[in-house]
This record gives sequence, C-alpha cells and structure tokens, in this order.
Amino acid sequence: MDINGKYTFNAQPEQVWGVMLNPENLRDALPGCDRLAEQAPGQYEAVMKIGIAAVKGTYKGKVEIADAEEPVHYTLRGEGSGAPGFMKGSAVIELQKSDTGTDVVYKGTMEVGGLVAGVGQRMISGVVKMMLKQFFQNMSKKMPQQTN
Amino acid sequence: MKPSKFEYNAPTSLQEAVEILENNEEAKALAGGQSLIPMMNFRLAQPGALVDLNNIPGLDYIREEDGSLVIGGLTRIREVETSELVRAKCPILSEATGFIGHLPNRNRGTVGGSVAHADPSAELPTVLTALDAQIRTFGASGEKSFQPQEFFLSYLTTPLESSDLVTEIRVPLPATHAKGAFMEISRRRGDFAIVAVAVLLEIDENNVCTNARISLGGVSDTPLRVEEAEELLEGETLTEELLRKASAFSAEIADPESDYHATAEYRRNMAQVYTLRTLKKALGMEEEGSK
Amino acid sequence: MKSKMEAWVGKKMERREDARFLTGRGKFLDDMRLPGMKHAAILRSPHAHAKISSIDFSAALELSGVIDVVTGEDIKAMSNPFPCGVNVPTEYYSCAVDRVRYVGEPVAVAVAENRYIAEDALDQIIVEYDVLEPVMDIEKAVSPDAPVLHDNIGSNIYAHRDFQYGDFEDAVRQSDITVEGRYYFNKFGSTPLETYVVIGSYNPFTEEFEVYSNYQGPFVNHSLVCIALGVPENKMRWIIPTDIGGGFGNKTGLYPYAALMSLVAKKTGMTVKWNEDRREHLLASATGTDRVTYIKAYLSKEGKILGLKDKVMDSPGGYIRPPEPGCSFRSTGNHTGCYQIENLDRDVSVVATNKGLTAPNRGYGCGHLYFSLESIVDKAARKLGMDPAEIRMKNFIQPDQFPYMTATGGIYDSGDYPKTLQLGLDMIKYDEMRAFQEEARKQGRLVGIGLATVIDPSVTNIAYVTLAKRPEDRKEKPKSGSGESMLVKIDPLGTVHVIACTNPQGQGHETVICQIVADELGVIPGDVTVHNVVDTHQRVFTITTGSYSSRFASVGTTALVKALRKLKKKILVLAADMIGASEDELEFAENKVRVKADPKRAVALRHVAGRAHWDHGGLPDGVEPALYASVVYSMPTSKAPDEDDKVNSSNTYGFTGEAIVVEIDRNTGEIKFHKWASFHDAGTILNPPIVEGQVMGSIAHAIGSTLYEELAYNENGQCLTASFQDYLVPTAMEIPRVEIGHVESPSPFTALGSKGCGEASTESTPAAIANAITDALSPLGIEITELPISPSKLWHMIQEAENSN
Repeated sequence: MDINGKYTFNAQPEQVWGVMLNPENLRDALPGCDRLAEQAPGQYEAVMKIGIAAVKGTYKGKVEIADAEEPVHYTLRGEGSGAPGFMKGSAVIELQKSDTGTDVVYKGTMEVGGLVAGVGQRMISGVVKMMLKQFFQNMSKKMPQQTN
Repeated sequence: MKPSKFEYNAPTSLQEAVEILENNEEAKALAGGQSLIPMMNFRLAQPGALVDLNNIPGLDYIREEDGSLVIGGLTRIREVETSELVRAKCPILSEATGFIGHLPNRNRGTVGGSVAHADPSAELPTVLTALDAQIRTFGASGEKSFQPQEFFLSYLTTPLESSDLVTEIRVPLPATHAKGAFMEISRRRGDFAIVAVAVLLEIDENNVCTNARISLGGVSDTPLRVEEAEELLEGETLTEELLRKASAFSAEIADPESDYHATAEYRRNMAQVYTLRTLKKALGMEEEGSK
Repeated sequence: MKSKMEAWVGKKMERREDARFLTGRGKFLDDMRLPGMKHAAILRSPHAHAKISSIDFSAALELSGVIDVVTGEDIKAMSNPFPCGVNVPTEYYSCAVDRVRYVGEPVAVAVAENRYIAEDALDQIIVEYDVLEPVMDIEKAVSPDAPVLHDNIGSNIYAHRDFQYGDFEDAVRQSDITVEGRYYFNKFGSTPLETYVVIGSYNPFTEEFEVYSNYQGPFVNHSLVCIALGVPENKMRWIIPTDIGGGFGNKTGLYPYAALMSLVAKKTGMTVKWNEDRREHLLASATGTDRVTYIKAYLSKEGKILGLKDKVMDSPGGYIRPPEPGCSFRSTGNHTGCYQIENLDRDVSVVATNKGLTAPNRGYGCGHLYFSLESIVDKAARKLGMDPAEIRMKNFIQPDQFPYMTATGGIYDSGDYPKTLQLGLDMIKYDEMRAFQEEARKQGRLVGIGLATVIDPSVTNIAYVTLAKRPEDRKEKPKSGSGESMLVKIDPLGTVHVIACTNPQGQGHETVICQIVADELGVIPGDVTVHNVVDTHQRVFTITTGSYSSRFASVGTTALVKALRKLKKKILVLAADMIGASEDELEFAENKVRVKADPKRAVALRHVAGRAHWDHGGLPDGVEPALYASVVYSMPTSKAPDEDDKVNSSNTYGFTGEAIVVEIDRNTGEIKFHKWASFHDAGTILNPPIVEGQVMGSIAHAIGSTLYEELAYNENGQCLTASFQDYLVPTAMEIPRVEIGHVESPSPFTALGSKGCGEASTESTPAAIANAITDALSPLGIEITELPISPSKLWHMIQEAENSN
C-alpha cells in the first residue's frame, strides 16, 4: 500500500524538524504508542496498541529514523508484530518551506499482514490514512506558536 | 475462531450499564452483536468485559412524538424495517434498513448498535445523515445529543465516551409530500455498500423543489451530505438536466478508497450514477439506459 | 400377463438422507466426543515467504489448561515428507519446518483443554521470522531472477512436459486462419458448509494411530499418510463418519491434517480434536489452481478446427502435494472437448508460488481448460463471421462416432451433442434472442448471448497423474484404475444391507443405492439399509476409494449392480431348487423370486435367505452358507498412459452446455441475466431431483467463481479475501432462474447407462458467462480473458473502450 501525502504546519522547517524528531513527541503523536524506548540514536523499541474502536491489537517492534538531513528530509521506518499479524512501513519525509510555514511531504509504503490483512481489507487503506492524519494533528499541537 | 476471555455483565438498567462501562475501561457494550461478536471471534476485538444491554427494559420502541419519529436504541433493525409507522411517516428509513445485511442480521442488530459502530458504508448512518436525525446518548457525563455530522467522525469513530450509549434516534418527520428513495450498489445483496445514496426531496405545488437532502455512504470515512447538489436543486424545477448536474457533485465530494472489490475511481463514478438514479427514483422518473 | 413392475431407478424419489439432515440427526464429525478428548488450534504464518528463526512458546505453556505446543521441528523429527509424483525432490510436511511458503501455513499446534484456551495459547507464541521476497505471479515465478521457494529443487518448476498429438505441423500448414489469446483462470475453492475436522489419537501399547476425519478420499492418501508417519498401513486406522457436510474436492486436501493430528496426539499422549475455522479454511485448506493459458487455434476457412497449440501454467502454491500435479493432467483425455480436433501441441508447466495449496476442486482442471478452449472457439467464430452455435455444430463429434477415441487417448462412451445443443438453443429461443439483441443494440444496450459446450469427464482413471513424468520415467511402476467396492448381504429374515465405501458428502448415495437394490432384488427401497463409512481396517477399499470426480453414478453404481447380480446368481440357485424350476425361468419381484411365466410359483426372498442362514447342512453342494456378495470393480477402460502419452484419463464422458443471455449496464458494469438454459447429456438419469440439484449447485458454484469468488493476494502475498466478508460466495439472491434440459444417451460402459453430472456445469459456466459478456461488449471490442469478472472491472474496460473511440 502506498502512503503519499502532505501536511502543512504553521511553523518553520527548523522548528518542525525539532518537534517531529523529538522522541517524546514521536511517542505522543504515534497513534496508540504505549512505549518508545531509545536503543541507539534514532532507533527505538516500541509497543503500540493500534486500532480503532474495539478493534485493537498490540504490536511490539521498532521505530527508526534514518538518513536524516536536518531540516530537509529523513526516513521514518517502523515495524511491529503481534497476535493480529504484523505491520511494516517506511516513508521518506521531506520538509519544504512554504509561504505559510512548512509542507511536510511524505512518500512511502506500508505493509499489513496476517489477520488484519485477511479480514479487514475493506478498511485498511482508509484507516491508515486516518491514523496518519491523527499523527500530524498530534504533532501540530506540539508545534510552537508562531510569533511573527 | 473463539473469542478471548471476557467478563459478562447483564445489567437491567441503563444506570447500571453506564456504571460498569464507566468503571471498566476494558468493557464494551453489546447490543445486537452483529459487528462486535464476529470481531471478537476473529480476536480483532478483545474486550475484557461485555455489558449486555439486552436485559434493559424500555429501550425498544418506535413512536411519533413532537413531529419526530422516535426510535429506541435497542430497537431491532427488522422492527424499523417492518414498522407500519415508519413506512407511513418515513418510508425512506424503512427502505434503507431493508438493505442492511441479511434477515438474521436485521432480526438481532439494533439501531443504536449500528449507529454507535459508525461504519461509513453502513446504511443506517447514511440515511440518518440525509434525514438530519438526532442521535441521543446517555453516559456518565449525562445525556447528549448529536447531529449526524457531529457524530460520524471517521471509520468506527464517534465522539462517544466509553460509558456513552446510543439511547435514542429522533428523526424529524419529512413533510408528508416529501419524496424519498434509497439505493445502493453492492457486490451481493446484503453486502456493505460500494455506494449507498439516500435522497429526500420536497416539491411544492408549483413543481419547485423546496428542500433537497442527499447523502452518500461508502465513499469516505463518514457518510457525506452532498450540500452543493442540495443547493443546486433547491428553488428549482427538477429537470433531468438539473439532476445530472447535481449528481456530478457526488463524484466531486466523494473521497473513496480502493479495495479488492472496487477501485476508488469506480466508487466515485458510482456515487454520481447512483445519485442520479436515486433522485430519479424518488421523483418517479423513468430509469435511463439498460437498467 | 402381469405388467412389469415400475422401475425405481429414474424415479423422482425423495432422498432418504434428508429427514435426518433436516432434523439435526446427521452424524457429523463435530458431533463426536471421545473420552479425554483435548482440542488443538493451529498457529499459522502471517508471512507469504519467510525463514523461521525462532519459536518461543514458553508463555503459552504457562497458561492454565494448555497441555503442549508442537512445532515443525517436532513434526520433522517424527515424520517423513509426503511423497509426490513429480521428478523434482519435494519436502512437504504437515507443518512448516524452518521456512514458511504461504500465508496460513501451519507453524505450531497448541493443545489445550478446550479450543478457547488453545487459541489463547496461540496468542502467546512468539515466532521470529526472517522475511523473504514472495513470488505471487505464475508467469514471473519461472523467470530466472525470481526468488526460489525450494532450494533443493533449484527453480520454481515442479513439473514440465511437452506433448504432441496427431500431426500438428501438418494442421498448421493446412489451416487458413488462426486465433489466439491469453486467459487467466482464478484461484477459488468450494467452501463446504462443514470445514475440516480431524480427531487423532495414538495407542502407545499397540503403536497404532487412529484418526477420525471427514476426508472425502481418494484413499491412496492413506498409504501416503502412512509413509509420512513412517508406519505400515495396519498401524494407521482411518475412519470416516457417515455424514460429511460437503466436499467438492476440497476435502481431498485434508490428509496432511490427518498426519498432523496423529503426530500431535502421539507427542502429547492425548486424543486431540481439531476443527478448522473458516479463516483457516479459506487461507489454507485447498482450492483449485489458478492458471495462465496461451492458446492458439488453427482453422480452415470453413470453420473446422484443425489444430490447437497451448501453453499452460498452473500453480499448486507453496508446496506440491498429491494428487497434484493432477490439475494439469486430469483433463488430458478430454482436452479437445466435444470437438473433433486431431492435432495438438502442448506445453505444460506446474510452478511454485507463495499462495495457499491446492487440491481437486469440482471439475478438477476442466473449468480452466474450457475457459480457454470455449473462448478461443468463440473468437474463431467472430473472426470467420460465423454464429457461435454453427461453429460448434460443425466441429462436434457426431452421434454415430461413439465410442470415440480422442487425439489424447480419451474414450468417449456416448452422446448426442448436436441434439443436446439444439435443445439448449430452443430452450432460450436462440433466434428470437439474437433478434432481441439486435434491437437492444440499436438502443445502445449491451446485450450478449453466450454459449459453451463441454465434455464432463467422470470417474477419474488415476493414471493421468503419472503424465507428470515422461514415458521412460513412469515405465517402472505403472498406475491406473478407478476401482470401487460394494458388499451386499441379506439377513436371515430377508432384509438387505449394502455396505458401501463411497464416502458421500451429501450426494444422496444412500437413496440411489436403495433404488438400484429395489430394482435388482424386487424389493422396495424401504427394505434396504445402507452403511456407508470408510474404515481402513474394516472395509474393503482400494486407492481410488472415495467420492470425487462424480465416480458414484458411473463406477459406484456399476460395482453395486455387479455385486447384486453376483448375489442373485446364488439366490437363483437356491430359489430354483426350492421352487422346482430352472434358474433362467425366474425373476425377482414383489419380495419374491418367481417364475416369470407363472408368478404364482414363487418363493419369498426371506425364505431363500432363511434357508441360506438356518440350514447350512441342507444347502446344495458347493453353495456357501449365508447370503452376501462382494465386488471390487474397476472400469476396464482405466489403463495406464501409453508411450505416446495418450490416456483415457476418465471413464465416462457426459456432454454439457450453457446458453446464457446477459445484459451489462453500461454505466455501472452490473451484470443481469435475462435467460439461462443448462443442457446435459449425462446418460441415463438415476434420480432426476438429485441431478437437477447437482446442476443448480454447479451453476451456483461457478457463478461464484466467475463473478464473485477469488482467493486474491496482494503483491506481498497477503490473502485479501480470508473471510466471508470478502470471499464472496453467492447467495440465492445472486442466482438467476435456470432452465435445465436433458438428452439421455446411455453409456455402454456402465451397468445402468449412467454417467456423472455433479461437476458438469462448473466446467461450462465460466466460459459461457465470459462468452456472453464478450458478446455483449463486442460493439466496444472488449474481450473477457481474465476471471473473476466484477462490475468495477467491467466498468473500467467500458470506460477505456469508450474513451479510446
């Protein structure tokens, strides 16, 4: 599944970079993230409770930030597995300065396997989109207020 | 395909149900169980406790009250479908419920359960969105009331807090001369809609449309009202050409996903085709083409 | 003279089985409770292709009620891989060892006090996988840079054969026109109401396995399971209950679980039951193969088909297991369908992909075959400007040509194809429908008429499986046969028992057996008791035993008639002696043996039985006590393939066709059926409602496979249709009204002239629907070449065609 999109923050690329790569913010913004423990710079062990409404599964896995070039782009990778199966995704995230702030353009792929893939294909892509939106909205709350 | 362990509660009052839900964040309310139980059997949902609402008296009713059709949350879908009152006062609601699953699903499934589940392809949320119904809930923080657009937020997502239960749906009665229709395209009869369309039109004695409501299911993360189309039709005499123009807005507003059964492009186009067909059906106009 | 009693065979007799089914008194395996029985649940791979790096089930063992967890490592230590009739080395165990090759492959088995706890245990098992790239596309699987599933094979090719029949090069030279195409036939299953159930146990003192399961046969797999378990056949007793809730070929793929639960029982020391759930069923029981076919037909300008060239690629999924690669070879004898086509060039590959495993599936390989053959015949008709009915009539084998030997070795027994097609055309009022189509087209409507005419082969001759090997490789141990066993006995007071081994799954064998016995012995069906279970220790069975390839109506009934006639000979000896008449004067009627010319001279059947049972000393010389007869009968036409790869791959061949009128909604791609005639020549009809039920069921099954059902995988190998929410089995609402018509050309090869009919319309329907839709969309130049068809896909095709104009 391809995940492509854009989200606009009302903040400068440097600010956006600072907020989005902060592990604490990452934990708070990732929907369902219970635990995010840094193992090495940019590498985290994660426990996520992912799902919607009553449909939830616990996934243990890794989150990794790689190929970081501040404040231009980085790659966000994540994978986790649990009883409902596994999820694995990777996206290149680019920060582009715009008139009103910063466009965060993401381009990547996501793979969902096991139970959820087999019985939930009707909603998967929509729900992934919804969670991405949540992620960015959560991050947006972390952004500093524009002062100018 | 067996559910994981759960505690089973069978409260006999709403208050008691809310208390259990309030005190146990693992608890889920069980009404007809037509979505929850399959999800539990797949272990997609593993609630630590169930609060079975079926023993609570007084939540199962259909009546007319202050110009509204008032339906209790525990009312079975099939009762709505076959209710003489619903057929007489709001036939589109009866028509729409006929598309929900299969007969055994409708015999058990409840109005409150379907609404609370908030599946964007489901028929009830779609038709209630067209009807401007009011969704009433009760929970630890008291009674609340929502318009459909405030209630259906995204896939299976509503503003309900964990102890809130959908207790009642209030459907403002359409004008007696209103014309309604509900249509859907699905792979098989009884499947989730690829596209569902609910249409309600009021036409005055001068043949002018005074009120138009069109909602779509299956083409976004919530049911959608096609407001641009409604605006276009209101105040006009409804010609085939105008209906076509209005239907085009459905394709514009639709934001569907592709899945195995149908592409997003197909869904978007079917939103348009079926909006036109449903409008024409409501108006009793001749079906076009090969249907 | 007394009028001849009316025959029971051919009568619309109600099914004897139905009362017990309809009142919940069927004896299905899930009803069985054995003392101390525990329950198993199977952990399955979420990956299509991965190495298993570790399995940690310690947390599962800590749960209260969990007895043990068994993994692939245990299975490998305790068993052998299943043998398979291909030339490459295969390593298929009942549980994944080291590596998984499809989503849903068993990885571990948890045994617990009940199924709930067993599933709790699965949630606690942690498996680390090292994910590998999957191969999902049949054609890509054979490309040199594709990941290889089985390192010991070294490529993804399980089997490959080239065949030439007749003088193909000459046919090419003689031909005036050619048509060709590529066709994709989808992967789908049967979804019987009852899924797999296995109860395994092991007696450590006798070192004997005992397995109960709803396996449908063939019992060649008893031998294979024994080889896998590493025990002689008398140490593995396999018992099948009376009632099975549907099979359709799907349950031929059950046997790996018979081995798995045997081993789990041995390891845990418990009697263990496993009941497959629907998700397991869709992911991992058995489906038909998907197939890519490249086909080219060579015709004269008059429309005679002179030659056919095809290249076929089948995939039995992540592993090949018997009876695969039968998918590719089972239809060899009837490869040319109902046509006189003498010259063929074939190229057949059986390839590995990371999909679920396969088994025979109603019409084994024939739906695949006829989708390409009947599509190309229509395409030829379009090119020649001929009517599709006319081109078929022109190429049909004619009624005076039977028995007819096909180019590939099939021996067609009987049939009147032109008459049967004409019946179908008349049923839909073909000419009127063509006129209606023309009118509708003028209004811009998309109306189409589709035909498909096919040969439905029944009673598999297992010889076909050996075609996977070259003649020199299969010389050593030839294989052939279609044997069926029947035992008939009469009690001391005269009641009749038939002890059958046909293992039915709802086909109504009991009813038809009673009808046949009633006619042969002059009794009424109610006097007959039928016992139909397979028990490998107690019943006479052979490798072909089981119900599949519509065997019962042909070989099952023939074996029964032979057993009855053997028994009748003995009865006649006794009765002649008792009446004082000669044997050839006698007949069986009204529960008596009597003199045909003087019916008052008679002896009651029960008195004959009484004499055989109660007066051993008074029996004539050479007559054994008691009354019974046993027969194991194989069709004499079941021979091993010859050196030219010709094989009579089945034993009776029915003719079947569909004539369908459809209309496609130009704006939505929705499909509407205006008319449907299903026409058959399946020889003598034994019980009309049973045949009609089979025809309607076949059509519903194939409407499913053509328009709704697919085991669909994404590029990562995830199955997208692993529940009934997405694997769309049609309901009554999706099935149109169908008119069914019959011609009866009795088979000279079976005792009653009957043939199989349980699979016929699954073979013709996909092609017929596709041809109808292609015809409807022909003004837009659209051809249906891939299944399944959906409104969304049709709409996109229509859009593309309209936009390119």
